Amino acid sequence: MKKIEISPITRLEGHGKIAIFLDDAGNVDDAFFQTVEFRGFEKFLQGMPMEEVPRTVSTVCGVCRGVHFTASMKASDGVFGVTPPPAGRKLRELFFNAHYVEDHSVILYALGLPDFVVGPEANPAERNVVGLINAVGADVGREVLRKRGLAVKIFELLGGKPNHPVAAIPGGWSKQLSEEERKQIEEWSEELVGLGELTLKVFEDVVLKNDKYMELVTGDMYKVEVGYMGSVDENDNITYYDGTQKIIDSEGNLVGSFKGKEYLDFISERVQPWTYLKFPYQKKIGPWKGIVEGPGTNIYSVGPLARMNIVKGMDTPLAQKHFEKFHATFGAKPVHNVLAYHWARAIELLNAAEKCLQLSRDPEITSKETWNKPTSCPGEGVGVIEAPRGTLIHHYCTDGKGIVTDANLIVATTHNNAPINLAVKKAAKHFIKNGDVSPAMLNYVEMAFRPYDLCLACATHTVTGGGSPLLVEIFDKDGKLYKTLKNF
Amino acid sequence: MKTVVVGIGNPYLQDDRAGVVVIERLEEEGIGCQTEMVLTVGFEVMDKIKGYDQAIIVDACMLGREPGEILEVNVDDIFTTHALVNSHAVTLGTTLKTGSICFPDEMPANIRILLIEVKDIKEFTQQMSPEVEAAVDIVVEKIKTMVAEQAVAG
Repeated sequence: MKKIEISPITRLEGHGKIAIFLDDAGNVDDAFFQTVEFRGFEKFLQGMPMEEVPRTVSTVCGVCRGVHFTASMKASDGVFGVTPPPAGRKLRELFFNAHYVEDHSVILYALGLPDFVVGPEANPAERNVVGLINAVGADVGREVLRKRGLAVKIFELLGGKPNHPVAAIPGGWSKQLSEEERKQIEEWSEELVGLGELTLKVFEDVVLKNDKYMELVTGDMYKVEVGYMGSVDENDNITYYDGTQKIIDSEGNLVGSFKGKEYLDFISERVQPWTYLKFPYQKKIGPWKGIVEGPGTNIYSVGPLARMNIVKGMDTPLAQKHFEKFHATFGAKPVHNVLAYHWARAIELLNAAEKCLQLSRDPEITSKETWNKPTSCPGEGVGVIEAPRGTLIHHYCTDGKGIVTDANLIVATTHNNAPINLAVKKAAKHFIKNGDVSPAMLNYVEMAFRPYDLCLACATHTVTGGGSPLLVEIFDKDGKLYKTLKNF
Repeated sequence: MKTVVVGIGNPYLQDDRAGVVVIERLEEEGIGCQTEMVLTVGFEVMDKIKGYDQAIIVDACMLGREPGEILEVNVDDIFTTHALVNSHAVTLGTTLKTGSICFPDEMPANIRILLIEVKDIKEFTQQMSPEVEAAVDIVVEKIKTMVAEQAVAG
């Protein structure tokens, strides 16, 4: 097995660091969010047979296993020059939408909602998923976890192996669905729609009906004016598994659309000396302009809020009603309020559940024709999907025998790197005044990047220490360390 | 008594794969109970142990101890209450505590957690360090004894 040195990752991989610089008056002059890059795996993949890649990349991250699996599976179609038959594609979509329900529900209940249900200034020891369950009651917690578990069951049934999907083959899907299994998935999907509706009800009761929280959700302190990118279907509606990538600028004007390898014509990456994570930008808008927001910026965001901004609508009836309410609430489009990511995520949870139900009722889903056998020589392939956190690109080059010679992965957190920095800076500027750093400041700053759900700890996990550690260092006007806050 | 052994780890990440290797070894040796592998410590762990009387969980850790050192801890030992930076940061302690609150009748009455201190997790490789390799041998034998004792007590 090939050895690849991954530097500078440590066991505390994903160790986030925020550096905040104060001016003479003790107000925020600048702020930076630094992290390690998702790196090393591309080289690990070199020399591997392409058909093995989906099963391998699904281990990049125990949480994001379904998204890397799906993006690389689509890329393998391109490498072998074959597309799946309708039933194969629908099984892939069903699998992927079930993964969406599972992932979005964890993000919302474990990460996003505790800030609102328990409170942004609550004791950090209570502002977590256990505190949330204590606040809403074990019955609600049990119901959410049980329904989320049904999404996992669909994922595992279709993926062919618990936790670690193996059903991907170039040009199709190896797991055929029996009528008995279809009926079971249909029953489970009905419950997933209930989970989506329950989640939006919780969001409405806790956030939308709370004036103080709505000040945060709609206020300028969490507003970042950038462009957006996401997938649309042939009707300009939302789609996750496959579509055309659509890009708008910060004022909502169409920048362009692309598929597959054309991403190279639209996206460039900028390196900054103070972080290992690159900064993608839209090069059709112009050369790198810096980490700036507002008209003319070529910084862009991906993920649930981006998708709400680039699509005409949702492709399922229940989610469409919430989509309309979402935009009616904010008025102007695009919506730049980053806390709206949580609301957008809840709408997508419902949408993905409805799609699971639709697909489970599709008569074609039990067809035995799930694979088109590749007949052409291997070459190059690009898989672009809308992962729960945003656009994910897998690009592979292979030799004539289908052995990977080069790989490039661009993940959602990389696309969102610049907006995250802008969001952190804006929140810091709002909440730090005259050198007065309140104990709640750390959480208000964290609230600026939590909506993006950073994929910092993709390659490993920690058994103690609260997962991904975060260090906030505040420097005075002379560059001297003024205060340190940390969650580990 | 129904027992499940769960191994946690990334199978391609050096010493982090220790928990997965323990499960592979137990399966090869025909351990007389259910075994499960999971890639991370999220709610999947809770899903895997619900409905059993006893759960034995094996994971890698980095607590600053000697590489290969084996620790046995309980749920309260590893429950941390920090707010999350991202959804990937749901800890094993949080997962198990959540299970005990929401599914008190379904969670195992006896949960034993074995941690193996890692030496290195910087490389994507299936080669573990010698210290962790040795620890895996010990943990495999320890679990076989645990399962056998429970079967007798059963």
